[in-house]
Amino acid sequence: MDYQSALGLAAPLAVGIAAIGSGLGIGRAVGSAMEAIGRQPEAAGKIQTAMIIGAAFIEALTIYVFIVFILASGKIG
Amino acid sequence: MLLHYAHIIGLALARFGPCLLVAVSGEHGEQHEGGDHGGEHGGGTHLPNLISMVFGYDSVWNDWVNVFFAFVVAIFFTICATTVYRRRRMIPGPFQNFMEMLVEGMYNFIYSILGKETKKYLPFLGTLFFYILAMNWLGMVPFGHSPSTSLTITASLSIMVFLYAQYTGIRRLGALGYLHHFAGSPRDVIGWCMVPLMFPLHIIAELAKPFSLALRLFGNITGEDTLIAVFIMLGISILAFSPVGVPLQVPFYFLGLLLSTIQALVFTLLSTIYILLMLPHEEYEH
Repeated sequence: MDYQSALGLAAPLAVGIAAIGSGLGIGRAVGSAMEAIGRQPEAAGKIQTAMIIGAAFIEALTIYVFIVFILASGKIG
Repeated sequence: MLLHYAHIIGLALARFGPCLLVAVSGEHGEQHEGGDHGGEHGGGTHLPNLISMVFGYDSVWNDWVNVFFAFVVAIFFTICATTVYRRRRMIPGPFQNFMEMLVEGMYNFIYSILGKETKKYLPFLGTLFFYILAMNWLGMVPFGHSPSTSLTITASLSIMVFLYAQYTGIRRLGALGYLHHFAGSPRDVIGWCMVPLMFPLHIIAELAKPFSLALRLFGNITGEDTLIAVFIMLGISILAFSPVGVPLQVPFYFLGLLLSTIQALVFTLLSTIYILLMLPHEEYEH
């Protein structure tokens, strides 16, 4: 296998694996936030802000992989 | 609806004019760039924008696309703000009312984080939000292009936030207080013993912030715009024999509107928090 086909196989796979991780993470975060809002609707604003920050940090990991994918896809040719 | 028809018309035009070639940059980039890869846009599909429609894809002006559109946004907001400010009245007209609503919404949002410090930092953070929001949305305007799909633009924004946060820290905490903050604010013997460990850790964490800000915005907006472009290309290639296409990208416009707003919000929110962390600690515990 030359390095181009290896990259062609591995790069999209990396994005997929990263997406699984962030999906699980964001699912947990949003689920817990919804639970908290259901328990304390008056704190919805604060919970939402904290949730968005957390979600941004979680999905940033996928974005890093996506950037690596963009860099790698230039080399696949 | 008008939006995507204009896009389709633009692409339909682009299909027939040889100089207005639609760039599928994977193939296109390689043809005339050779081995030297530009770096920022490694791959993906780009829609035609104003500059590439007027000057053609091989023109040098394409290097200025991001700067041009960033300036368009900046000039637009400057004109809006100065118009409202010059003709402000006690009883606001519809336009002034709208602008006041935006500013007030921004004020309330930042007030929930910064508290009584809000007024000092609102101009910077509010401008940041609307500037980034407009830049993100520009990718969905016909013949427009998001400047935030360029790592240069997002990096300059995040470096600006970084420098401003450091400046705030030195200004508000004092030079010694700033170093004390970087040493993890030690208060007892154990705290002072941890300083050699905490100091490099804090510096690395501080330096990582602008990177994560820039890469997050760049990656999200690039991904979103590429998605829309790919679906437009798909919709056109389905009906390749006719000059019209299928508007497959319409659901992704709504997704794009939502994601652009969230990314602008997240950028502003994180900048606010970076500034908050640099403020004297006693003041914000409310």
